[in-house]
Amino acid sequence: MLDVALASLIEDMIEKAGADGVVEFWQRVGDALASRMGKEAYLGWTSFNVAVREGRTAFSIEGDVTPLTDMAITDVDGDVVGYLYAMKQCCYVPTIFRTRYAVGRMSPADATVLEEYNANVHNIAVCNFCVFHERFREEIAKNVTVSGNPLLSYLLATRGWSGETKISSKNVVMININEEHVRALLRNYECVYALVMRGARLKGGR
Amino acid sequence: MPAETHMPECNPFVEIATALFLEDLATKVGVPGLNNYLVSLSKNLANTMPREEYASWPEFLGALVSRQSILATFEDVAPVTEHCMTTARSPFDRGWREYAKRVGAFAPVHRQVAEYYNTNVRPTAVTSVHIVLHTFREAAAARIKVSGKGVRYETVATAWLDGQVIMAPDGQLDGLLARAGISRTKLGMLLRNHADVWILEPA
Repeated sequence: MLDVALASLIEDMIEKAGADGVVEFWQRVGDALASRMGKEAYLGWTSFNVAVREGRTAFSIEGDVTPLTDMAITDVDGDVVGYLYAMKQCCYVPTIFRTRYAVGRMSPADATVLEEYNANVHNIAVCNFCVFHERFREEIAKNVTVSGNPLLSYLLATRGWSGETKISSKNVVMININEEHVRALLRNYECVYALVMRGARLKGGR
Repeated sequence: MPAETHMPECNPFVEIATALFLEDLATKVGVPGLNNYLVSLSKNLANTMPREEYASWPEFLGALVSRQSILATFEDVAPVTEHCMTTARSPFDRGWREYAKRVGAFAPVHRQVAEYYNTNVRPTAVTSVHIVLHTFREAAAARIKVSGKGVRYETVATAWLDGQVIMAPDGQLDGLLARAGISRTKLGMLLRNHADVWILEPA
């Protein structure tokens, strides 16, 4: 019920603080939740990926995450410095449909917030919740170490409830993955992101 | 209602994020401000739902049980008498358990705002989510007509997952139980394994 009430709260907050205010609010909530999740350390990618598959990491709070272990990310020397991860279902899609069936319509607040985010922050959101959990993942990645290295999160691609897809051109270039490979993943997943070791010399790195 | 048309379950992560959202809001507007936000959002939520009308009280009770009424959107309502309703599981159960498992103990502001609500609005909130629930039920009931008359909501008692029970104050409880058509013993029996006991009656 709280999730459907959230749509009403966001409608109310857009009136009071504007869509940009809601974006800031969501990002601050992402920081706050990440700060309460604690630190994690893994010996290497194998143990981290097993932990992800078993739902033991902070990333698992979002739901079932699949480590795409056939899609390793390598650095300029060819060493594995990260992997792609994907969720079959966006965390917020059930809430969108719950709102539809509770109230009788989709909440207009959702589109207002995501348009603001896409225009001014990162053109990747397909629902207002993307604003929160892109930041949340970026923050928890700092608290997770693999082989002693903290991680960086790059949100790569999203697919919304209506079928609309978004691919982050800048992040796809950063980790040097073919955009068509990411697009193919969206046939089976609704949210695709990369986790890489912080400081790794990525082929697409600036 | 056939099972396949039930509301889909939410991802509890969204409820966790909402709880954090409320905690952040409280740092800006304080406990009274958070209470006002919760009351306002619950009223807004109910007011966005369509109005309802029923020819008779039994038809209305049937709509509650089959989850056709807006009052049964988020919870399974089981009438014990004509006017006494029960909710076996709180609609916030999953979100709370996931928060406790993944994040830790709830921030104190959730209890503080409930105490503020109990003192200033209505006496049976254990935590912040009950402000949402009680206000929503009251506002949703006001959108329903049975035999041409409005419907009034009253709360009798709330039991939270940790076992804490808050009942209406002694001065009001006997009157509420008489309207509900149950005894104190029956209320105690219900609260052993139910989340809420409440009243719906013609206004």
